[in-house]
Amino acid sequence: MKSSRYWMTVSMLLLTIFAFAQVKNSQTMTVSINGNCGMCKKTIEQAGSVTKEAIVEWDADSESAKLTFDSTKTSEDAILKRIALAGYDNEKYLAPEETYQNLHACCQYERTLKAEENPSAENASEHQHGTVENQEQINTLQTVFDGYFKLKDALVKSDANASSTQASAMLVSLEAIKMDKLSAEEHTSWMNVKNSLIEQSKLIAKQKDLKKQRAEFNTLSTKMYELMKTSDTQQTIYYQHCPMYNDGQGGNWLSKEDAIKNPYYGSQMLTCGNTVEKI
Amino acid sequence: MKNSFKIPGIVFLISLFISNSLLAQKVVRYDLYVKDTLVNFGNKEKRAIAVNGQIPMPTLAFTQGDTAEIIVHNLLQESTSLHWHGVHLPNREDGVPFLTQMPIQPGSTYTYRFPVVQNGTYWYHSHSGFQEQIGMYGSLVFHKKKDDPTFRKGIDDLPTIPIVLSEWTHLNPHQVQRMLNSGSDWFAIKKNTVQSYAEAIKTGKFKTKVTNEWKRMEAMDVSDVYYERFLLNGQTESQLAQFKAGDQVRLRIANGGASSYFWLTYAGGKIKVVGNDGNDVEPVEVDRLIIGVSETYDVVVTIPAEQTSYELLATAEDRTGSASLFIGEGIRQLQVPLPRLQYFEGMKMMNDMMKMNGDMNDMGMKMSLQKMDMNTVMYPEMKPTDMTAHAGHSKQVPKKMDDMEHMQHEKKNEHSEHVEENEISTLSYSMLKSTEKTNLPANAPVRELRFELTGNMNRYVWSMDNRVLSESDKIPVKKGEILRISLYNNSMMRHPMHLHGFDFRLLNEQGDYSPMKNVMDIMPMETNVIEVEANRDGDWFFHCHILYHMMAGMNRVFEVGNYDNPLLPDKKKAYKELQKESNMIHLMAENDFATNGLDGSAMLQNARWSLGTEWRLGYHDMHGYEVETHVGRYIGKMQWFMPFVGFDWRYRKMGMHEEEINLFGEKNTKDNRSAVSLGFMYTLPMLVNFQAEVYHDGILRLSLMREDIPISRRLRAGFMLNSDKEYMLDLRYILHKNMGIRTHYDSDMGFGIGLALNY
Repeated sequence: MKSSRYWMTVSMLLLTIFAFAQVKNSQTMTVSINGNCGMCKKTIEQAGSVTKEAIVEWDADSESAKLTFDSTKTSEDAILKRIALAGYDNEKYLAPEETYQNLHACCQYERTLKAEENPSAENASEHQHGTVENQEQINTLQTVFDGYFKLKDALVKSDANASSTQASAMLVSLEAIKMDKLSAEEHTSWMNVKNSLIEQSKLIAKQKDLKKQRAEFNTLSTKMYELMKTSDTQQTIYYQHCPMYNDGQGGNWLSKEDAIKNPYYGSQMLTCGNTVEKI
Repeated sequence: MKNSFKIPGIVFLISLFISNSLLAQKVVRYDLYVKDTLVNFGNKEKRAIAVNGQIPMPTLAFTQGDTAEIIVHNLLQESTSLHWHGVHLPNREDGVPFLTQMPIQPGSTYTYRFPVVQNGTYWYHSHSGFQEQIGMYGSLVFHKKKDDPTFRKGIDDLPTIPIVLSEWTHLNPHQVQRMLNSGSDWFAIKKNTVQSYAEAIKTGKFKTKVTNEWKRMEAMDVSDVYYERFLLNGQTESQLAQFKAGDQVRLRIANGGASSYFWLTYAGGKIKVVGNDGNDVEPVEVDRLIIGVSETYDVVVTIPAEQTSYELLATAEDRTGSASLFIGEGIRQLQVPLPRLQYFEGMKMMNDMMKMNGDMNDMGMKMSLQKMDMNTVMYPEMKPTDMTAHAGHSKQVPKKMDDMEHMQHEKKNEHSEHVEENEISTLSYSMLKSTEKTNLPANAPVRELRFELTGNMNRYVWSMDNRVLSESDKIPVKKGEILRISLYNNSMMRHPMHLHGFDFRLLNEQGDYSPMKNVMDIMPMETNVIEVEANRDGDWFFHCHILYHMMAGMNRVFEVGNYDNPLLPDKKKAYKELQKESNMIHLMAENDFATNGLDGSAMLQNARWSLGTEWRLGYHDMHGYEVETHVGRYIGKMQWFMPFVGFDWRYRKMGMHEEEINLFGEKNTKDNRSAVSLGFMYTLPMLVNFQAEVYHDGILRLSLMREDIPISRRLRAGFMLNSDKEYMLDLRYILHKNMGIRTHYDSDMGFGIGLALNY
């Protein structure tokens, strides 16, 4: 086993050297290319590299790549276009939306290079938001849930200040809940989790340290899960799990979308996790 | 004397000046210098033609009401011409050599002059030989006057960008035509669309392939020529950085390609179609549209975000390549490329649609106006919901044609109700609605005409009613008559049919508001009806705008009224020239330099006639020498039948008392034999050629032969056996368009291996 791995390494090394030797008139440059993980690295390098023409070596930490290419045969643009068509935004090209969506869940990096699109589309989403607010009158817990999702999104973005603000906002809606508007089932679970929810929200609101906020958020999420389970949430909610959080003890959260956006690590490991239950 | 001449001259000048200023006509003049050039669209320099030093030719812009004056300076070594595509003008300015003018000779200068009576997006191109393929295409824009009552706010006041799409081949287009005529499959090899038996077996489509060959079809494709580059305003990729987020841009797009249709898609959202073939249409938003060869579309696109440019992607219909325009400033947002076609699905569809006699069978569906694109079966991007989910099938490809029909109905319903969210909306002719009523005068006499578009892919003969131009007279038309022309496409390819000098009314669902067009794409098995008011005198060309189809004879001429064209003193002779141009004789030849002898053939052919010689020359007397020459004529639309007169000569040293006895017991003892024969060749199912001939001495010979069985992308097999108990088997590996390695076993000459060259 060991020896075979050794030979593989050696042959890979030889291959790399061989491939390097194959690029003539070589020109080298460093460019930024978005991506997450080892799988991204493989896709990016395969898409960009062409025998005797170009070699791409991508680094996940810096989200950048070293391009070595034969400037008489190809160009930086041509290489970066291929990489974008494989799904990875870079300093010259943005991947088509559909291609990005088709990437494996763990490869769906945060699209920091892509600008907000279409003011009219924004209006449309605001409009949708409006209808959600109408529904809130039917289910008063919805304000709490919305507050929770906003808090979660802030954590996904690894923004401690925003997390704190969202937690305070959530606190307000938690305290505004009128129990007589709740159904019998909701009422029971509400009584069980109410104090804990208020407690965690306060703690997150006070904290400016992401790590501590996330620890509280973990507890908050389990309580919130109990509440949402008994409540008519109007739409499908995904109960999701990251096995790596808290030194392998794992962490859970709730999301309105099936695609994983991990609030415990943010962009570091954005798509780590899986859905364990649909509510 | 001198003085008396001057006075009328001055009076004339003054009156000219007055009349000019009265009509407020502005003469807009362009000088065009047509010159040979070298371009580099790969790693080699190739000949092209540039006008004023550029490809495409410069954009010519006029305003409705202007007089256009275009002066052509022909600096080429050959003659040229310019045709104003879609423009209503006097016949003598139409620019078809030998039909409306004589060719513009090398070194000479020629002036086109016509009043601009339209507004919209047009284009112009050479109508001489293959010049259109190598650079002679350009944008022609007629602006609307500001006070025009049809001026549309939010459309006609947008910034506009003229765009010409085109393609580039490293081959000389004469060679392209010759290769198409001689049935070369080099383009299929380059495109990886050979559809070989190996590929068929690998993908489980063996039965489909066999059925296809049983119906005597060669590999199917949506276009014929392989191109190295696809170009948008002469470039594969360019950017319009002058536009910002929120801007709307009107693109005036003309397809100046010689034989490529293009799909247009936009990374920034929907494409709003506002004009077609120079005429305004009611705005309609789609995800994509196909622009036929020589069509023009005016579209409006919006830039959705800051610091981002959005890709307008023009993908060739065969999806071997594309050209991109990035609209906006900053980082470039790409559009999803169109995936490769699923050829075997297309082949299966063709199998269902093709009768044994080579006619197309529409299975009782009334197809028209691009509403049902049969090629959809080959588009991997079409999700199952687009195709058969409605018909209740889980498979992506409809099995039976009634499913397709079902699909058509479903689609129609969707247009009237709602379009599903993830469905790709595609423009069709039925969605084009004129902004004004387009009814033709009700009291004019109407004449009905019908054309069947016919063709033969195997020999690349394209015709109308199975007659090429050289077999057709001009069609006389009375001035003022309305022609109601019904066209049925009974061939396997789509054809962009273009009428010179007029807009025709394409009858569709929009009734009184049927759109006016000058090019109509017609897909296989479609029937479309157009109406033309023949109100301009002259000889007007009506033809398929795929250059290689036009040069193969798919043309007609409408002779409206009794037009006396001063530029053509001998009209009859000129028409003969025109006919000759689209039925040129082409040569093909091949020879195998093998270890056991030379094995080859040469043929001269045009649309109907064939003069061919085959030889097998051994290196010594025992192997013998054999030459067979046939003169024949191809009969019928599919040209499967060719009667011929032959002359054979052969010499072979035979042993003492050795005699050859054929299958019929006829003996032949001569070493040296010359014979005249009568016979015929017939293409059997599986593309096997059956040949029967009777020699003057009564000897009968029958033979079966199949060449070029596609084993893999580059490997071809063949066999021959005949009633003289001779047989041959061969295998050929294609290295290059003119070269291959061939190995064969011949009953006379034994085993051989050699280098096969072909032209």
